[in-house]
Amino acid sequence: MYIGIDVGGTCTDAVLLDNGLVRATAIVPSSDDIISSLLQALDQIMKGVPAELIERVVFSTTLITNLIAEKKYDPVGLILIPGPGLSHDHYKYNTATYIIPGAIDYRGREIMPLRYEDIEKAVEDLNNKGYKKVAAVGKFSVRNNKHEKEVASRVKWLHPEWHVEMGHQVAGQLNFPRRAVTTMLTCATREKYSFFVDSVREALTRRGIEGEVFILKADGGTMPLNKVTGVPIETIFSGPAASTLGVQALLPPGETAVVVDIGGTTTDLALILGGQPLLASRGAPVYEQLTQVRALAVKSVPVGGDSLVERVGREILVYSERLGPPYCLGGPMPTPSDALRVLGLTRLGSDKKAHEAMEMLGRPLGMSCSEVAQRVVKMVIDIITQEIEEMFIQWEQEPAYRVWEVLQKRKERPGMVVGVGGGASGFITQIAARIGCNPVIPPYAPVANAIGAAVAMPTLQVSLRADTEQGFYTIEQEGFQGKIEKDPFGEEDALQLANEWLRKRAEKYGLGNMIEKTECTRRDVFTMVRNWITTGRIYDICVQTPRGIVAHIGTGTRGEI
Amino acid sequence: MSAKKTGLIFFPAFDWAISPTHPEREERLLYTRDQIFEEGVMDLPQIHEYAPRLASMHDISRTHFCVPRVQSQVTEAHLIAAGSTLQLGDSVINGEIKNGFAMVRPPGHHAMRVVHGNRGFCSINNEAILVEYLRRRHGIRKVAIVDSDAHHGDGTQDIFYHDPDVLFISFHQDGRTIFPGTGFTNELGGPGAYARTLNVPLPPGTADETFMYVVDNLVLPVVRDFQPEIIINSAGQDNHYTDPLGSMRFTARAYADFTRKLKPDLVVLEGGYAIETALPYINLAIILALAGADYSYVMEPDYWPGRFKESPERMSKVHKMVDQLLETWAKRDQVDLQKIFGTGKYYQRKKFIYYDTDYIEEEQLEKVCICPDCPGYILIESRGERNYREPIRIYAISVPFQACNACQNEAYEIYEQYKARAKYDYVYMQDKTTDTCMAFDKKKGQEWMTEG
Ligand SMILES: [Zn+2]
Ligand SMILES: [Zn+2]
Repeated sequence: MYIGIDVGGTCTDAVLLDNGLVRATAIVPSSDDIISSLLQALDQIMKGVPAELIERVVFSTTLITNLIAEKKYDPVGLILIPGPGLSHDHYKYNTATYIIPGAIDYRGREIMPLRYEDIEKAVEDLNNKGYKKVAAVGKFSVRNNKHEKEVASRVKWLHPEWHVEMGHQVAGQLNFPRRAVTTMLTCATREKYSFFVDSVREALTRRGIEGEVFILKADGGTMPLNKVTGVPIETIFSGPAASTLGVQALLPPGETAVVVDIGGTTTDLALILGGQPLLASRGAPVYEQLTQVRALAVKSVPVGGDSLVERVGREILVYSERLGPPYCLGGPMPTPSDALRVLGLTRLGSDKKAHEAMEMLGRPLGMSCSEVAQRVVKMVIDIITQEIEEMFIQWEQEPAYRVWEVLQKRKERPGMVVGVGGGASGFITQIAARIGCNPVIPPYAPVANAIGAAVAMPTLQVSLRADTEQGFYTIEQEGFQGKIEKDPFGEEDALQLANEWLRKRAEKYGLGNMIEKTECTRRDVFTMVRNWITTGRIYDICVQTPRGIVAHIGTGTRGEI
Repeated sequence: MSAKKTGLIFFPAFDWAISPTHPEREERLLYTRDQIFEEGVMDLPQIHEYAPRLASMHDISRTHFCVPRVQSQVTEAHLIAAGSTLQLGDSVINGEIKNGFAMVRPPGHHAMRVVHGNRGFCSINNEAILVEYLRRRHGIRKVAIVDSDAHHGDGTQDIFYHDPDVLFISFHQDGRTIFPGTGFTNELGGPGAYARTLNVPLPPGTADETFMYVVDNLVLPVVRDFQPEIIINSAGQDNHYTDPLGSMRFTARAYADFTRKLKPDLVVLEGGYAIETALPYINLAIILALAGADYSYVMEPDYWPGRFKESPERMSKVHKMVDQLLETWAKRDQVDLQKIFGTGKYYQRKKFIYYDTDYIEEEQLEKVCICPDCPGYILIESRGERNYREPIRIYAISVPFQACNACQNEAYEIYEQYKARAKYDYVYMQDKTTDTCMAFDKKKGQEWMTEG
């Protein structure tokens, strides 16, 4: 049996899955003491189920998201090595930042060495300012991590108790500014993340659960819940990812659908294309800071059931703020939920209060309650459907760097609009009608997020870049760089090496059985010619375990893999 | 989207090469990719990245006579490179972006109006296709094209040689020392477009100082004087001091200065084969210059200010040439055209064109009708021979978009006449006034037609 638990800001949701069937669900309020709400949720879903039967538990959490939103973390000092390129004026972050001379190029060659005095000066300054956490990030450090390692070892030598995070270990893709942000946030949240890991371990131990434990990542994959491996920031936005996976599990395989999660103040939109949740083409933005965190393409629209509705002159406006609960539930101002109540699209709260709310808006305009309610609902639907269209356009317009990628570009239209979340039921039919789809509110929609966590599967990737002329290769996800031993080293050798690393990585994650089937998602070969002679090759190869979920709910069948 | 943004289409075609070891191979924009991605250029608020798109066969036929058909000369990569420039053209005209850079391959500026094969790594001319598209789709008339590739932009010159509404300026390494061996100061355009083609052959070894002299004293004033609706830059990067094919000594910084001064609406990548030592830096610098961002931190690792000194001899030579070209430009409307081009109904020139990539030799007779009311239709008789194969003979008629009624009617009559002549394997008609392209296959007795 599988357990999925979503630890949210207000609620902790849990489900127990047994052979693709939902056996029990729980929704309990989240408390500051994570352990107590976890225990409460576990006890509700495990009534009469022996702990030995639990094979695995997967968590999703907004913990890291909230930490960053509320800036509840220790300050992190930045030591950056950008070298030539963009103006250094671009590298302004809200923290002590030191730019030191030094440069590595795109092939990993050192162009300008570091000087120890520059590092020491930065560290001394950070020390005087009271910093104890440092992120060291260099441009092209993913091609050669020498400089970052030099900075880290110097910092550790001067202050062994400091926490240092290096860019190449956190964010392996090319994008120096995003690497700086991602490394800084990783450094900032590592400690709090360990605390969460300890709490979860403690709760599970107390209930005698010994199955495997994972945490959901923003891309819908999982990683083992472990203090050392993994990057805490990857768990950011695992909440929306969980809902999307939940819907994927609740729909028949292969569907193309729009997932609409309407909450109090925001509506999260996600796309499932041909049965697979769409991944964002670029890393997730975290409160206006661009990171390298791989994430599902989830769009947050600032409108929900509790959004403030006001009359301004002869206009009725829907704002993105929330001033409290809907009027019909004793709140201060009219909201879209009140409009739904008047139209009989929800049974929430007092009908009388809802009518009052609409009257407040409509009387000066000479509109009846139901006219106002219709107008408000239409406005919310306008906003949401427009964003859905834009998501599809954005997906169609994703850049492509290879001929085959341009040619395989498809246009896909959704067959259904799937509603989850509190506000979904009232809006979903009309949203679906507007974009010509079938409306679906799946069973268990309120705990779709916990179901999503329960069915999530680890996806492991390995991106290998081998440069035979330089004689070294790197593994993006591991921050590893090593010598190419074999000579000659051909395309098949490169593929084999990538697969070996995938196996190693799977073992490290305790997922040895995952690599029976792997797929190659990129296989670029670049012949290097200098002075009319072939001097080497660059192989850029990406292999991964298949994406998928462990089960579709209600079908009773196990495994999509 | 803010009107302040610079549009980018990056299409490195990582799965396309003329051959695995040809300079036009997968690797060409690899390090450029590395540099602009690592810099986070696509995340800059001043940048909007567009997806590439495919040009249509008709977009190609509107500009070229591909022998025998478009499909036989272009691969999908060519359609994507051309289509990407069209996408940015649309976005600039629609006001979505202030300017755009098509960082695409394969290049195109050596592709002429008639295409028997690939020459100078080019099959179809991306800029020319763009110009004809902008005219048809957006009603643009006057366009300036400035070619900053080390090789003479002979394809672009050929296509617009008789077009008074296209100003074509090419500065490049002296044709006596490099492919394609043309681009001299006496190539000034046909009788209907005199001095709308200007060539500045620079001596090998020319450095930034002279480059900037040509830009400041010739290119900028002439372009300003011409008052184009759109400025296009054919941004070849083989004038760089590290280029293996060229022998010039321009720097990335100078390319950026040039871009900042010219303020092109659209920049299209052409050649440039110092794929490690030049392209990552020049491309980055051009992007930043277009976006109005600071490019002073962009520098080649082996460069230091003052590294290249210009020889006074080279400089005075170029100064003289610039003076002479300025005078030609100033007096362009006062010259006695009959004295230069002769009298008669047609002005004609004979061309021998060598396709270095495909080893094809072409013999061409091009005639332009001298008409008081319009630039006149163009008649082309061409014979292309690839060794050991039967030569292919074609006859092609091009009616410019500014054509008068009389010229248009006459051109159609000629098309019908030539369809009946046994000598030609294919007869083509390209009518830009109605955006209609026709091709007649003698052997099959079949005619194709496309319309925009
Ligand atoms: Zn060139
Ligand atoms: Zn005429």
